[in-house]
Amino acid sequence: MAAKSPVKEPPGTSAVNPTTPLAPPPVKPELPSSSEPDVVNVPSYSRWFSFDSISECEVKFLPEFFDSRSPSKNPRVYRYYRDSIVKHYRENPSRKITFTDVRRTLVGDVGSIRRVFDFLETWGLINYFASVKTLKWEDKETKSSAASAESSSALKETSKRLCNGCKTLCTIACFACDKYDLTLCARCYVRGNHRVGVSSSDFRRVEISEEARSDWTEKETLQLLEAIMHFGDDWRKVAQHVSGKSEKDCITHFIKLPFGQEFICKESDSEDVDNKFFSINNPSDAVSESENVGATSPSKRMRLTPLADASNPIMAQAAFLSALAGVEIAEVAARAAVTTLSDVDDRASKGSLMRNTRQQEAGVASNGDATQNALARASVDASSLIEKEELDVEKAISGIVEVQVRKILGHFFCHIQL
Amino acid sequence: MKLPATSSSKAPVKPTADNLVPIRLDIETEGQRYKDAFTWNPSDPDSEVVVFAKRTVRDLKLPPQFITQIAQSIQTQLTEFRSYEGQDMYTAEKIVPIKLDLRVNHTLIKDHFLWDLNNYESDPEEFARTFCNDMGIEDPEVGPAVAFAIREQLYEIAIQSVASAREIKISKKGRRGAEHAISSKGGGNALDLMKLFRYNSSVVRKRKEWYVYEPIVDILSNEEVDALEAREDRNTR
Repeated sequence: MAAKSPVKEPPGTSAVNPTTPLAPPPVKPELPSSSEPDVVNVPSYSRWFSFDSISECEVKFLPEFFDSRSPSKNPRVYRYYRDSIVKHYRENPSRKITFTDVRRTLVGDVGSIRRVFDFLETWGLINYFASVKTLKWEDKETKSSAASAESSSALKETSKRLCNGCKTLCTIACFACDKYDLTLCARCYVRGNHRVGVSSSDFRRVEISEEARSDWTEKETLQLLEAIMHFGDDWRKVAQHVSGKSEKDCITHFIKLPFGQEFICKESDSEDVDNKFFSINNPSDAVSESENVGATSPSKRMRLTPLADASNPIMAQAAFLSALAGVEIAEVAARAAVTTLSDVDDRASKGSLMRNTRQQEAGVASNGDATQNALARASVDASSLIEKEELDVEKAISGIVEVQVRKILGHFFCHIQL
Repeated sequence: MKLPATSSSKAPVKPTADNLVPIRLDIETEGQRYKDAFTWNPSDPDSEVVVFAKRTVRDLKLPPQFITQIAQSIQTQLTEFRSYEGQDMYTAEKIVPIKLDLRVNHTLIKDHFLWDLNNYESDPEEFARTFCNDMGIEDPEVGPAVAFAIREQLYEIAIQSVASAREIKISKKGRRGAEHAISSKGGGNALDLMKLFRYNSSVVRKRKEWYVYEPIVDILSNEEVDALEAREDRNTR
């Protein structure tokens, strides 16, 4: 059975109140066969439910009734259980029914009845209360975790993320709340389709690619190293050996591993910067130009601060800025800046030269005015200083880039040697 | 799962297509008594037992000591069932009478009917459901109780036939002798079809025997229920 247990949430329908999670849940009148005048709340992720049919969702979560392996379990029996339980609940929707209540009234083996009951409860088709009570959450959390534990251990291990709200696979980006261990896809997050009491600020934006990459446990790292030892350069085989990581993830994680720094760089601070640069590299890549809703990744923020203690303040500033912007951008920017600087400089120097010559002429004309000469010299000095600065910056940046490249190569070589 | 039953077959033979185990619980701890009866699917993993015990204790708000006791009791009964499960069962033509005599809350049920052990498609659950529908029983707890009662009796019969099959194997009467013993032993409880469907008798039951086989459903009043309960308690103590 593959499932990630859904979380109890007030329904976030697309028509009403997409963004405020604390809005009162819109009431949804259910099913034509119900003769009650009052309405029953059903969460939006369960709107597939119908007394007249069995949906794919049910087949997926309760396959025991549909695989003909057991003669006493078939779709008819399933419908009997399901319909009786739901009707039983709906007789009095404000009262929570327990499994024991129900199984005493149903003819059948208690194991299957319990599974159907749990399924209906986690999908909010029974015992679904819009009121917010933390105790209830814990209850449902344990129930849903029990349900999920028995049914979805396989799915939990994959690095794919299922949205707790709409049960779809999260693509591009998702929003994770570590406090309550929730994952929402972008749509559900925007709609506020999460548990009441969890606010939007509790979520952090997480790129799917970054998620997978940053999600390395020790076991996986060990597997990676083993695989590299065995398969060397064959990243496809390595990725196969490591469970759940793609080739690209393996490679990126590998080069991020804190390996033999002594091979590469003698200078400690450039190494430091290099390290930090490297670790920053990832989240800075992850920050994309498209919506950056909500908070930036706190891990990224943390990783940026160590830069502050780089020795040369100008270098620190440059490194910080280039880190923020990303490698390629920094390179391009540096190049552009350098070219502009040199242009300006040329012009300035030309200007200053002209000024100088004019001044000199003037000076000559005025028979060697000392201050003017000094001014001219000062301007020449200034321009040369500017040149030097720009060269320094250029050197620093190219040094950083070079060190990075060397590090990558060093990793590969030293590992191949192993 | 429909296996032909012969006295020498080694394949597991079951009285019904899906062998659900009737589990009866009667636990008393710290002055609280918990009585229950339900059917359990033996192919459920054993982890289910604890889950069920915890769930029941939580739902009924029983003290937590009950969890282990319930789990143990269920486990014992399951193991006992499993010890019989793979055994040979002698089942020749075997139509057994099943008697229902149970009280569930306010409903009293008495019934007597024949059950074909060889027909694996007979389903006690289905019988119970149809029974309740046909008799217009309103109390939903009656259905499971009926199914349980049927299963319990089938289980008893199965145990007996396993035991008798074992005896036959042990006793070294020789083949023909054994057959003879079988036919006389096996027919202890079952009706001899030959006698029943003799050429000069019809399949239709005689009118005077109708009352024996007629289901009786009685709704009791509160006092009667109390009286019966008191009597039952006295009997069990």
